[in-house]
Amino acid sequence: MSEENYIVFDQYLANELSAEEKANFEKQLSQDQEFAASFAIFKELNLHLENKFGNKEELNAFKKNIKSISKKHFKVKKSKVISFKPWQYAIAASVAILMGMFFFQNINPSFDDYNNPENAYFTERSSVNENLKLAEVAFNAKKYKEAIPYFETILKENKSPEIQYFYAVSLLENNQYQKAETNLAEIKSGTSVYKNKANWYLALSKLKQKEYKSCKEILLTIPDDFEDYDQVQQLLNELD
Amino acid sequence: MSTKIHPDQIYINGLAKNDSAIIQTIYKKFVPKVVHYVKNNSGDENRAQDVIQEIMILLFNQAKANTLQLTCPFDAYFFLLCKRKWLNEIKKSSNKGVTIDEEKLSIDESTEQMVAETEMFNEKQQLFDLMFEKLGDKCQELLKLSFAIKSMEEVAEKLNVTYGYVRKKKSLCVGQLTQWIQETNRYKSLKIT
Repeated sequence: MSEENYIVFDQYLANELSAEEKANFEKQLSQDQEFAASFAIFKELNLHLENKFGNKEELNAFKKNIKSISKKHFKVKKSKVISFKPWQYAIAASVAILMGMFFFQNINPSFDDYNNPENAYFTERSSVNENLKLAEVAFNAKKYKEAIPYFETILKENKSPEIQYFYAVSLLENNQYQKAETNLAEIKSGTSVYKNKANWYLALSKLKQKEYKSCKEILLTIPDDFEDYDQVQQLLNELD
Repeated sequence: MSTKIHPDQIYINGLAKNDSAIIQTIYKKFVPKVVHYVKNNSGDENRAQDVIQEIMILLFNQAKANTLQLTCPFDAYFFLLCKRKWLNEIKKSSNKGVTIDEEKLSIDESTEQMVAETEMFNEKQQLFDLMFEKLGDKCQELLKLSFAIKSMEEVAEKLNVTYGYVRKKKSLCVGQLTQWIQETNRYKSLKIT
């Protein structure tokens, strides 16, 4: 193509040709294959350049956003998945399929997915207290119903956020929601290290009662420096 | 031929709008499968992450160019794109044997066609970029400005030349690209036949 042709291409795209020139141009397009092929590329290049330089900021914003979403997504996943070998994937996949078959109607996240109470270790500090030892053993053995009266006795003598927290978790495991929530709310309004944990369990209590909306509202109040924040995020995602 | 837009077009539109909620949904629903595939085929999570990001950017560009109309489910389309990209990468980077876990996927025709179109779009973009780099500095600068600023009067002012000059120069710079690309096309078709 001659230089003249490219200049006309550009004028045509900018809609600057007179009616007569335009008609001639379109006539040539329909008759001259090489002319038409050149124009098609010229036009496509214009679109490409417009996209590349005209929308540069949008593209950069998109790249940044993708990076941050990707980072968050993989961070959450990492804490859950610990270097699976291929055969473990096969097992995990079949377990997932089995679970899917049983629970396929249950789309909402469940309390059991998130309920991982930590073990209690009270007795290092005061091995003399019989009730503490009994409470610890019962709690760690997941015999929450047994643990509850021990906790109650301990709390009567000496109230601490730690004991109150494990007591509340036991109550929740035992479906005594109101009592559990009262205790959790009390810890939450305090300043102990159990503050965020109590808030998390308060959300889990709502989850267990299938009150998804209040669960979500509580989750949103948990600050992101909470040690199990990845769990918080995961649950929030599932609730969406 | 009737081409019906698939309801999953929402994902494409969401990407084009940089809609975080849609992007997060894509990560939640479609990304794990890709990660699994890459990990099972000589890769790891980081490599998978890169492949996924590159495909997302490609989809963004194609959606922005208004040439992405989904006629198949997003799931299959996205997975196949990522998978093919990953296979290309391991082919490029390794001459030692790699284990490829070739599962027989039933890919329907419309998915295959969609993937081919996107890959073609990508190839074209790369070719255009490559040719652009071959242009002289003056052409490059003028084109960058012309397409970023839009008003050619402003471009002329900025470059301290006349309006007539920038208009002509712009046509000729794009013309030069056009010529190179045509030559490449000819060369390619010669090679094929």
